[in-house]
Formats: sequence, structure tokens, C-alpha cells
Amino acid sequence: MIKRLIPYKDLFLVYIWREFNIRYRQSYIGALWAVIQPLSMMLLFTFVFTYLIKAVVSDYPKTIFFYSGLLPWTFFASSVNYSLTSLTGNYFLITKIYFPREILPLSGIVMAFLDYVIASVIFIPMLFIYHIHITYYILWMVPLLVLLFVFTISISLLLSSLNVYYRDVKLATGFLIQLLFFASPVLYSIDNLSLNFKLILFLNPMTFIIENMRRCLIEGRGVVLWQFVFVSAIVAVFYYLCYRFFIKTERDFADVI
Amino acid sequence: MSSDGIILFNDVWKKYSTRDIFHKSLREEISDIFKREEREKLSDGEFWALKSINISITRGECVGLFGPNGAGKTTILKLIASVTYPNQGEVAVSGRVAPLISVGAGFHPDLTGRENIYTNGTIIGMSIKEIREKIESIIDFSEIEERFMDMPVKKYSNGMNARLGFSIAVHSSAEIILIDEILAVGDESFQVKCIDKIRDLKNNNKTVLIVSHNKKKMEELTDRILFIKSGEIINS
Repeated sequence: MIKRLIPYKDLFLVYIWREFNIRYRQSYIGALWAVIQPLSMMLLFTFVFTYLIKAVVSDYPKTIFFYSGLLPWTFFASSVNYSLTSLTGNYFLITKIYFPREILPLSGIVMAFLDYVIASVIFIPMLFIYHIHITYYILWMVPLLVLLFVFTISISLLLSSLNVYYRDVKLATGFLIQLLFFASPVLYSIDNLSLNFKLILFLNPMTFIIENMRRCLIEGRGVVLWQFVFVSAIVAVFYYLCYRFFIKTERDFADVI
Repeated sequence: MSSDGIILFNDVWKKYSTRDIFHKSLREEISDIFKREEREKLSDGEFWALKSINISITRGECVGLFGPNGAGKTTILKLIASVTYPNQGEVAVSGRVAPLISVGAGFHPDLTGRENIYTNGTIIGMSIKEIREKIESIIDFSEIEERFMDMPVKKYSNGMNARLGFSIAVHSSAEIILIDEILAVGDESFQVKCIDKIRDLKNNNKTVLIVSHNKKKMEELTDRILFIKSGEIINS
């Protein structure tokens, strides 16, 4: 995919800049929206689980526990949201001009990543407020982010191209994302489950990513290497299949859209 | 294949469907992996938009496409631009293509004229640096006043859209330029300017394809005209 994109790198840059412009054109507080979404969800969950359902979620303060899970989750969910309609929404380009179509969903993902970075900024003071002991295991964030990226790209390519054929995909995705949210350990931790059970849950790569990002960020623990290899292999195969599917269907986009 | 043939169509067939059967084409797509030959037959509601088209255009040629609406002229341009692909046969294009398939193609309505020069320019293969160098001359050529350049394109008239689109395309380094009916949009003086510019491009060894309904103007401008009727080339 990278080879295909190199000759179009300027186009990609302009596209990201274009998305950015369109999004914040008539918005007053602009980039603040990136923080408001995970922050308000964090406050709501903390309120619910402190006063309404008095549950012990983990040994760590609830606010930082939820926020550390909400960051990667929000990145994933908004990437899917941006990219889903990126092809159908740009039909006026697709039916007129050739360029590698994956630029459209990918620029949505880059936008979501900018939001992620902005939202991460308020995570740093939280680490100090709660006296989180930062260890060098935090470096695991880099491979985990790569994994999160590859998985998000795969899902986005698959769903955006399917949406060209069936607009049902758009309707179904809202609901599937919501299901996946509760199936991923944002509100809970799967740390105490048995290994076999964990491995089954790791078939959803988001479970692995969220759980382990939290481990190396606030719990100061590393990632089990063989588990990382296991999930990476699943994600790699999934990416390969999604990308092949995208390339195969790309040729017909202009006729079907 | 001749060495200077820049666009070659070899027995090209293109099929379209009159129905909105989106899901069928995806199913076809998947089943096609197993059985290739199915594609050659027509199923219900399908028709051939192009039938056995053979074209060979050499570098530096200026070719007109003439024919009634729905004859397949735009489909040919779309095949050259790799926007769509043939069902049968082969399309070989060497060199970068700047398509102007319709008025304001590729403009985003919410972005300003200036921003659209950047997005549109990069799509047709210019680098950001190249655009930065040429932007003044692009704006000059389009004859759109500076104060309109920072206004969203959705507020432009059709004529302004076409001028800006044409101006970007002729400033790009693309070797092949496709022009679809846009000559009909600009006013008299701009049309004259466009025609001069097209002659200029021809002298610079660029290949130009023009679709138009103005046969007289086309005869005066092009090296040869392909007459197209219901998906076939007649006496070209």
C-alpha cells in the first residue's frame, strides 16, 4: 500500500489538510471537540460507577482507568465514522478522477489520530495528579499504537468499500460499534480472567490493545510478548484480506457508487 | 504497440446496467474470481456502452470525439482516466492524465477557490511546490478576481467553475488532457482564450482529447474527429 501511495504523497497531505479545513470551517471551538467527547464519557462513567452502581472496577482511580481505555477506543470509533462515508461522500471525485482510493479513508484516520493526540494531552496532567508511577514499559505504547493503526485501517478499508455497494453498512455500523464498545474492556478489565478465556477475547484485537495500553500506561506492567505476536498475526492476516478486498472492489467504485 | 502511441484501445467493450443493482455487482465480483467468462454475456437490464472500440492516439495529437448524447464519449474519457475499467479488451495509457470530465470536477463546494486549486492540482499530479509557484498564473488565466479566490466554490457560477478547472488542468504537467463539453460554458472571450491555449498545448507535444457538440469549432481545432454512435466508432 505504501508503494502505491508514494507518488501521491502531496495529494495525501493536501487531503488531510482539506479534511481538517472542512471539519472546523464553521465550528467555534474547533479542536476542543476532540477532548470533549472522551472527557464527558469519562465523567459520566465515573459518576455512574461511583454513585449509582457501586462497583470496584480496578485498584486504580476510576477517572484515569476509564480515560486510558477511552482514548484508544475513541480513536478507533471516530476513525471508522470518518472513513465509512469517505468514499460515498466523495463520489464527485471518484467518478471523475483517478487516484488511489485508499487516500480517502486514510485521511479520515489521520484526522482521528489528531484528535487522539489532542485528547492525550490532558492525560499527562492526570498521570501526575494520581501519582501514577511511570516505568519504561510505557515504550510498549509504540508497538501497541502500530497494532491499533493497522487494525483500524483494515476495518476502515473494509467498511468504506462495502458501504459503496450496500448503504446498509452505514446503518449497521453505528450499532456494531456500540456492541463492540461493551465487548471491549473500556469499562472493565479482563485482567483477572483465566488465560484461555483471555485468548478467546483477544480475537477481538481491540480487547488486547485497550487492556495492554492501560497496563503499560498506568499499571506499569509490560505486554506478554507471545500474546503480542499472537494478536499481531491475527491483525496482519486480517489487514491482508481487507486490503485485497479493497483493491479488488476499487475498480468498480465509479460504476457502482 | 507502436512506440509513440500514448493511448491505445484494443477491442474495448464496456457494459453498464440500467438498474440500480448494487449488491448484484458485488456478488458478481466475488463469483467472477471463480468463473471469468460470465462477464462477456449480458444479463437482464444490461447494455453495451462501448462495443469493440479500437483507438490509437499518438503523442501530441489533438482528437475530437463527436456524437449524440449517450453515444459513449464520456465513457471513453473515463476509461482513459482510469476512473472505470473495461469489461473486455485492453486500454493502455502512458503518461499522466488531467481529466476535466465535467464542469468543476473534483472541486469541494465548501472550500475556497484557492484551497480547491491545491486539492485539484495535487489530484492531477502536481506537487505542492509546483502549485505554489504557479498559483498566480492559474488565477490570472482563469480571470477570476482575487477577492473571489477566498470564497467557497459553492458560491461560484458555472462559468467560474469551468474557468478555474480548465486553468488548473492546463497548468499541470500532465501529458494527456481530457476536455468534456466545458468549452460550452465560458463566455465568448474565454472560449477564444481556451482554444488558443489548446493550440499551445498541442505545440508543446501534449495530447488533447475534446468532447464537444460544436462540430465547427472542433474541426478547426483538432487533427481528426472520431464519430461515435451508440457505442461504436463510425468512419473515423
